[in-house]
Amino acid sequence: MQFKAVLKLTVLLALASLLSVGCAKNPKADEASQVAQTEMQQEKIAEVSEQAVSEQGSMSEGGMAHDSMGKMISSLTRVNFEYDQYVLTADARETLKKNASYLKAKGVRVQIEGHCDERGSDEYNLALGENRALTVKKFLVSLGVPAERLSIISYGEEVPLVMSNTEEAWSQNRRAEFKELN
Amino acid sequence: MSKILSFLLLFALFLPLSAQAVRIEISAPGEQTIPLALTRFLPMGKATADSASEIDAVLNADLDLSGLFELADRAAFLSDAEKLGLHSTQVDFAQWRLLGVDAVVKGGYRIDGENLTIEARLYDVVTRQLLTGRRYVGRIGDERRIAHSFADQIMLALTGKKGPFNSRLAYISTRSGHKELYLMEVDGHNPVRLTDHRSIVLDPDFSPVRKEVVYTSYKKSNPDLYRKEIYTGSEARLSQRPGLNTGGRYRADGGELAVTLSKGNNSDIYLLGTDGSIHKRLTTHWGIDVAPSWSPEGDKIAFVSDRRGNPHIFIVDIDSLKVERLTFEGRYSATPAWSPTGEWIAFTRRTEGQFDIFLIRPDGTGEHRLTFAPGTKEHPRFSPDGRFLVYSLDFEREKSIHVMRIDGTGDRRLSAPGGNDTHPAWSGYWQ
Repeated sequence: MQFKAVLKLTVLLALASLLSVGCAKNPKADEASQVAQTEMQQEKIAEVSEQAVSEQGSMSEGGMAHDSMGKMISSLTRVNFEYDQYVLTADARETLKKNASYLKAKGVRVQIEGHCDERGSDEYNLALGENRALTVKKFLVSLGVPAERLSIISYGEEVPLVMSNTEEAWSQNRRAEFKELN
Repeated sequence: MSKILSFLLLFALFLPLSAQAVRIEISAPGEQTIPLALTRFLPMGKATADSASEIDAVLNADLDLSGLFELADRAAFLSDAEKLGLHSTQVDFAQWRLLGVDAVVKGGYRIDGENLTIEARLYDVVTRQLLTGRRYVGRIGDERRIAHSFADQIMLALTGKKGPFNSRLAYISTRSGHKELYLMEVDGHNPVRLTDHRSIVLDPDFSPVRKEVVYTSYKKSNPDLYRKEIYTGSEARLSQRPGLNTGGRYRADGGELAVTLSKGNNSDIYLLGTDGSIHKRLTTHWGIDVAPSWSPEGDKIAFVSDRRGNPHIFIVDIDSLKVERLTFEGRYSATPAWSPTGEWIAFTRRTEGQFDIFLIRPDGTGEHRLTFAPGTKEHPRFSPDGRFLVYSLDFEREKSIHVMRIDGTGDRRLSAPGGNDTHPAWSGYWQ
């Protein structure tokens, strides 16, 4: 019994002495050298300050669509497309025949805008919108409109005509628009 | 005799202790968690409580999102949590062992005029050793950045791979009335606007080697590719060819960009130099080819193509220009993002009337779905350490930016309520 108690004490003492030795071997300088110093970068980000809401031309989100589409030509009618398609429907062909007659008579320069509905990836829709505009251009050229009077641009899904997530809104947003230049 | 015995006993006592040291290799979150005590940082001299709360909130959120730690309940902390002693000899490790934690974070901060110094330490409770120590010297207001930076250090010390919390996110927001480019911290704090194009700005990506972003903008009517230095604000047009100049993505070394160009005719994937010159055309197909994403080695590019009918993910080898199809399931797969670890390619796929995020290995195996909640998820991008994915959610007509671990857990919203925030891009390590 007594031997056991002495042994316990010895172990504890040895443990304590070993620990203190361990500490002595680990002087403050050693650990301090492991502490790296980081200076925080103070360069300021080139932030754009928020402008007043009432500035000219600044519009609400609904207005933005109209703004970037610019002036619509009343005598040119937009055409619509099927989902994920850029081939012209029979309806679209009929509409474009009328548009072609108008363009040949007026001799104006026109930009054809290709648009998509919001479903699908926006990168893919940019390409799809461009294909829609291109298909319309090719068809108009085949009807005798001079190619140099027609330019194209794609807005992908960025400029919806109708801000809603219904089938009806989507079918209206899948479209090609006409914008008179100069 | 008793002396030898005591040494033997000592040996037996110490052996299992040192074998338990906390360095644990964790390759994926959720596999194993480290019990960790995060103490509140204490003032060294005169200081305000604000700094402590801010540091505390950031460290807590970062370590929680990491999924690597089991944070000990503070109600159980003993007196050592209130003591400033930052040297290992001053820490009462026995108290922390009682709580069953393997590691403890202690720290202090000093405010001197406008200057802020933060001392932060991570100790192994079992071996009683300093695992990582940092002194941050900055200004008042740097608390969040410093705390993010130390969270990254904690992850480095305990897993061998640094955390991504001190990096940045770029994204597109309509808060000003137009789609403009913004920058924020990875927990959604401190958003700042970088562009004032008052047009349509799209699809940002970070330079991996410079504090620079690349994006597409309709500022000059055509969707042109721009780049902008974040700190000087200097902006330049990189590619202004007719038609699409979109999807700009830097190679991991920053030396080249992959981009979609249509030249007003048909969209294909190209390689550009950092001066905007065309180095190589990678795809030549009448179908739509968009949305390039580099492999980390820079030898392959994943992209979206409708060459087989529906949009799917393909991979082109930059040397041989050989194209292989990666995804076959579903009818619409898009926006591939190659993990910086090379292990996964994240992409979106149309499921039941919405888009969800999937992962697939570059060899086409291991495909699985990560998101199941309602709403369309788009634009997944990996964190620079490959542990997390950021993406945009379109739910009930509100678009917000979310982050989750790559096993789909830990999902949380980053962007403020009421916004229309999309298209996040994750920077490389920031410092």
